[in-house]
Amino acid sequence: MIGVDRRRLRRSAADLRAALVYPLTTDVRLFGAGLVTIGTYVLLVLSTYPQFTRQLLERDVTDVTYGVSVLTREVYLTRGWLGLALVVVYSLLTGVAVTNAVTLLRHRRRSGATSIAGILPGVLAAGCASCGAGVLGALGFVGAMAVLPYDGTLLRVGGIALLLVFLARAGDPRTCSIGAGGGTDRGASAE
Amino acid sequence: MDDEDTITRRRAILAGGATLGFGAGVAYLATRSPSTDSTYEPATIHEGSGASGLGIELSGRPIVGEPDAQVDLYYWTDYLCPFCARFEANTLAKIGRNYVDAGQVRIPFLLYPNIGEYSMPAAVWDRCVWEQVRGDDPNAYWNWHGEVFDVQRSSGDGWADDATFADVTERVADVSLSDVESCRETRGDAIRDQLDADASAAQSAGIRGTPGFVVYNRETDQAGRLVGAHPYDNFETAIDRVLAT
Repeated sequence: MIGVDRRRLRRSAADLRAALVYPLTTDVRLFGAGLVTIGTYVLLVLSTYPQFTRQLLERDVTDVTYGVSVLTREVYLTRGWLGLALVVVYSLLTGVAVTNAVTLLRHRRRSGATSIAGILPGVLAAGCASCGAGVLGALGFVGAMAVLPYDGTLLRVGGIALLLVFLARAGDPRTCSIGAGGGTDRGASAE
Repeated sequence: MDDEDTITRRRAILAGGATLGFGAGVAYLATRSPSTDSTYEPATIHEGSGASGLGIELSGRPIVGEPDAQVDLYYWTDYLCPFCARFEANTLAKIGRNYVDAGQVRIPFLLYPNIGEYSMPAAVWDRCVWEQVRGDDPNAYWNWHGEVFDVQRSSGDGWADDATFADVTERVADVSLSDVESCRETRGDAIRDQLDADASAAQSAGIRGTPGFVVYNRETDQAGRLVGAHPYDNFETAIDRVLAT
């Protein structure tokens, strides 16, 4: 029993590694992952103080760099290094997840449906958890994050863990998933 | 050349470098000290009288700048507002040096307590300090006001309470804590009425948050509105626009 669990854990770790390094397979994927990472970071940071962002961008959208610079500092001052690191890690993981999801969608392999179904809820759930303060703030629940354990940090950590789990489930997007109980067919990878 | 769909050393190095650069960039933005200009002190602070041409009551309010400056920059603030602190640290001194000291702009300091439970008590502290120093040493008000925002910037949540404001008041030269405390006890209701008038004026001007600003040319009656801790350039544009009318 323990042997099976250990094997499954090793396989998940290998799948997670395969998913994480997948954007390194072509220049376009690497560039795309970089763009999504930066876009996600900008979105997450701007959503921490939605009212300020709205006021700033309504007047001049080119002030977005000023907004990101000011709000990065505010995130650090209010949530510390851990809070800021969570935003950075989440942005990087989203860059990878979106690149992998795009490949899954394009290839439309038999495994595509299940892998996409596996990765998208993770991206959405982790996204909501990670930028929760901004989303809740935008919806008018400004004090909601304050009543959560550790001021919402736990929720953000959980969101990132969720994203990692879903990335590990999907693995390398070039592989065909044989079934819930089976392994993966590495031979299907484009060589 | 096996560069298609394989992990190359070049891409791995590029990704690693970009990730490190991204992290370093974020760390730089997070830790760079704001360009606080604590050395600036306006040449003149005076007490307003009557209502302005825009219908904003200025009697008893502190106004930074020359009484006959052509442009009013009404500034609504809240001591609990982090973006007001940012405006104070990054932009206010620049406006002071470039427009207030040149005699073109004056800044009525108005209060719009709206952020937290202590916003209103903090505003009462402010007006009591002003009432105490306006006659002999109006610049002490400027120092007290700046000191409170410095404390806000260097503190976490829950910094605002009676003890913190008493500490600041005791620290700032030429402000008597006992006189301010006595004002809070005896003049609290009258001051809260004055603060309600400030907040109503903000709402009438379409200000829904702090820091809120209205730029108004007193000679041509032209006005513009700004809400939020905008970069200095936006203030420059707004002020120059009403000055040119």
